[in-house]
Amino acid sequence: MWAAVTGKTMRYDAFSKCHPAVNFLFFVGAIGMSVVIQHPAYLLAGIITGAIYYLLLNGKKGWKTILGLLPMFMILTVINPLFNTLGATPLFHFGSRPYTLEALFYGAALASMFVIMMLWFGCYNKVLTSDKFTCLFGNLIPSISLLLVMVFRIVPNFIRKTQQIIGARKSIGKGISENATTKEKLQDGGTVLGSLTSWALEGSVVTGDSMRARGYGAAKRSSFMMYRMTGTDWILLAVMLVLIGATIVAACLGQFAATFVPAIQLAPVSWGLAAYTCYLLIPTALHIKETIQWHISRSKI
Amino acid sequence: MKKSNIATLIVFFLLIPVTLFFGSKLPGRGYYITGTAIIIELMIPFFMAFEGRRPQARELVVIAVMCAIAIAGRAAIPIPNFKAIFAIIMLSGIAFGPEAGFMVGAISAFASNFFYGQGAYTPWQMMAYGAGGMLAGFCFAKGRLPQKPLVMAVFGFLATILWVGPLLDCSHIFLMVSVINWDSIIAAFVSGFPVNLSQGICTVLVMLLFARPLLDKLDRIKGKYGMMEGENGL
Amino acid sequence: MAHFQIKDLSFSYPTAKGRKSLDGINLSIEKGEYIVLCGKSGSGKTTLLRQLKSVLAPHGKKTGEILFNGTPIEKVESRDQSAKIGYVMQNPDDQIVTDKVWHELAFGLESLGCDQKTMRARVAEMACYFGIQDWFNRDVANLSGGQKQLLNLASIMAMQPEVLILDEPTSQLDPIAASDFLNTVRKINIELGTTVIITEHRLEDIFPYADRAIVMDGGKVIADDIPRNIGKLLYEQKNDMFAAMPTPVRVFYGAEGSGDCPLTVREGRTWLSKTYPEPTISTLPAEELDDEIEKPALSLKELWFRYEKDSPDVLRGVSAEVPTGTLYAIVGGNGAGKSTTLKAVCGICKPYRGKVKVFGKPVDKYKSSELFGGCLAMLPQDPKSLFVKKTVREDLTEMTKDEKRIAEIAAVCEIESLLGSHPYDLSGGEQQRAALAKVLLTSPKLLLLDEPTKGIDSFFKEKLADILCKLKEQGITIVMVSHDVEFCAKYADMVSMFFDGQMLTTDTPRRFFGNNSFYTTAANRMSRHVFSMAVTAEDVVELYGQNMGAEV
Repeated sequence: MWAAVTGKTMRYDAFSKCHPAVNFLFFVGAIGMSVVIQHPAYLLAGIITGAIYYLLLNGKKGWKTILGLLPMFMILTVINPLFNTLGATPLFHFGSRPYTLEALFYGAALASMFVIMMLWFGCYNKVLTSDKFTCLFGNLIPSISLLLVMVFRIVPNFIRKTQQIIGARKSIGKGISENATTKEKLQDGGTVLGSLTSWALEGSVVTGDSMRARGYGAAKRSSFMMYRMTGTDWILLAVMLVLIGATIVAACLGQFAATFVPAIQLAPVSWGLAAYTCYLLIPTALHIKETIQWHISRSKI
Repeated sequence: MKKSNIATLIVFFLLIPVTLFFGSKLPGRGYYITGTAIIIELMIPFFMAFEGRRPQARELVVIAVMCAIAIAGRAAIPIPNFKAIFAIIMLSGIAFGPEAGFMVGAISAFASNFFYGQGAYTPWQMMAYGAGGMLAGFCFAKGRLPQKPLVMAVFGFLATILWVGPLLDCSHIFLMVSVINWDSIIAAFVSGFPVNLSQGICTVLVMLLFARPLLDKLDRIKGKYGMMEGENGL
Repeated sequence: MAHFQIKDLSFSYPTAKGRKSLDGINLSIEKGEYIVLCGKSGSGKTTLLRQLKSVLAPHGKKTGEILFNGTPIEKVESRDQSAKIGYVMQNPDDQIVTDKVWHELAFGLESLGCDQKTMRARVAEMACYFGIQDWFNRDVANLSGGQKQLLNLASIMAMQPEVLILDEPTSQLDPIAASDFLNTVRKINIELGTTVIITEHRLEDIFPYADRAIVMDGGKVIADDIPRNIGKLLYEQKNDMFAAMPTPVRVFYGAEGSGDCPLTVREGRTWLSKTYPEPTISTLPAEELDDEIEKPALSLKELWFRYEKDSPDVLRGVSAEVPTGTLYAIVGGNGAGKSTTLKAVCGICKPYRGKVKVFGKPVDKYKSSELFGGCLAMLPQDPKSLFVKKTVREDLTEMTKDEKRIAEIAAVCEIESLLGSHPYDLSGGEQQRAALAKVLLTSPKLLLLDEPTKGIDSFFKEKLADILCKLKEQGITIVMVSHDVEFCAKYADMVSMFFDGQMLTTDTPRRFFGNNSFYTTAANRMSRHVFSMAVTAEDVVELYGQNMGAEV
């Protein structure tokens, strides 16, 4: 169960093999931009690219999540006009409040932004595993990174210990039966929790000793870098920065402008869309490139 | 002046105003970015203070253990939707002081999201949990409030429904609500209330039933190793 | 210059009211030596070892001096101490700090602030030397106990220490993982010249290879000599520690043999064949075996179990019958499903096929309160999982309010003096007995024990055996799962071999171990070429004595 955190169940993915800094910057860009852009053309680009990469990462199971986002999208769309009464074309009235077409479209745009964010966060969770995160921030916040790593170490241990305690109590007749009342379950849960706490805290003393025995606090810590920036990583980084820059320029030129209420006004689609889409396609493109290269190298054998 | 104090000043007088200024110019749901950025900036001084004093091994281990108990605690209590996490965070604050309370809260929120999935709500959750732990630590430090189960239960309940819960609801406002006006804000808080109330009740139950034995266990460790004394009282 | 020079070292804990935990210790440890430190639990071994590394030294009153490479230990910089003095502790799990194997290997180097290049080189080197490369990227949570302890060792060796101190490093491991670990330690000593100071319960694996053995008792060094001479000393002093000596040593002195004391099974065999090339009496009577078990206390019929739907079966048709009133031992390798079988009896695991009957009645027909209230109970592998209260007494009161009954059971388990202590302040053997007391308060007629001898020394093992015998006299049936073949050979009435999810053979200890040639006791391996059915040191001594009598 906890293995999912550390990326053991990962499918093969080229982008995930890149340096964590590249991964992190990409998602900051993708999620950051998805929050501020509300032009329908860009939203569509965001949804499609996000969904493609999400499916690449999750395989068939990914469809379930993506379809699960649909009702969310609907609800958020329909709700918006209830709070936002501006708009030129009222569809009907709720008491004295108008329910307008423009607000409905606006709701759809906002709901799309939400969906895009969910998709990219979904990808983020698959790509930026805990060890990548701590590696990335190991130098900036050494103590907190170490704290995180320790938590990741202890949690699976505790889940196992909890099961051990429950089993041990059961085998001396102190377990809870199937038809226990909530109060009994709660009381027993408290006892188990208390036992776990004692066990854990006593163990923590050993862990502390083990840290100090290995020099924790004896010198300024450095951080072991499991990942190294390769040529590809630098190229990717450069490409990403150029595309983000281009998108920002396009934004400043007003290419993303879109207002929905009181009347729908959209800026014409321009080269900004290409820059934005290219940026979001980076992981997918990388995946396709590696797949092709692999097939070529195979066919040469 | 300590580094972390300078950081606090910079955050409040430079970073936050600048964020607000630029944030107001962002289109779309820019206010979400602004809000999240401010939340992250608010946490910086705490994290810097923690980093700055180079915590000892035992401190780190105890905080890590408390975080892990907060996260794994649900495995111990076989009741669906019963969350002891707030109570454990608050108890950490009560036992080990406001700073430890903040760290346990913020880190357990962050770490558990590696399990359940990070999202736009992560910084808010970190702030809310951390603030809860810190508040508990502050209110019970130096005998300001007696460490009696009933007092802790009432405190836990109020802190959950008035402080931690609403802070969490804020992220929903920024994330889900399309227009920020009084109607939508009130709607968000009202819709969040049942969840907060149930969390509050869980906290009360944990405080009433196991707070005392758990605190005894924490005190035993504190006593045995003379740790976390005097360093971080507010 | 000695590596460590200890001069008149005395130490007492602040709470000990003047009682000295270490009393006038004088020792000199040379570079590259391999030293075994032995003694009963509480003799001050750990206290002494911890004094050798300042950050681990407990608070208390200390007199005397410890010189490390000629410098008083307090004056050696903490950075140098961290790197040069490696310390491995008992519990493999709690020593690990980070979640990934690679990170754990690098932890010490990170602490010392090494640069990337050095760290990469050292980590790679260590991974190769210790054969870790295959699990280098794994999560620590997915390692076995033996792998974890090896990782602890490797992560300390990555700092290239001059001295390696190991405090009962294998007490939580199964025998195979334990000897792997000890072999690695020996390899480090021989190939790298690292000084090794080790305390161990399992002396069989290290005694023959050590340069020196130091025996402690009551905070004093009572013997400091080459291992071959230690046995004689302890035997003459009638010291309790004699019971912990390797089997050949115990046989040799038990039989009052002459010549050089054998240390290994090989030397033991040579010694025996020299003395008795063709013994007159070569076999002991095997125990009587009843073919028909009239009323089995426990019967298992074709149990099949797997943990998850698509995982492999752990139990693959386990069948067994345990006669009432016996001590029944189940031995076998790690992960064979022995513990799972016990869990299946208790209903912690539910077999998807097969039947478990307790005293003739299927377990699922019992009500839970009926089954666990006076019929069946299990002592788990880790006694800590049973402690939930602040003192042992409160923990026992959780089971029953009856003071008299508690006093009675406390007397049986010999924990009367420990009732007021916090369960975590007890030693491993004491915890084991306190947990056993808790289990016994359910008044079980069938008692299940999961690895009861894990992590306890030979002295406590004998105590445990006494308790088990007392319980058997009261008519309690005991089923024990264990790796400890010596213990099973000595005390069990029946032994079953568990392999690959099945109970393969069942026999009395003498027949069982007498017929095995690999999976058997050291006493049997040492004597099987001249005696048969001799499976314990006592058996060999007995036969030796009989032959001695026959010759005269």
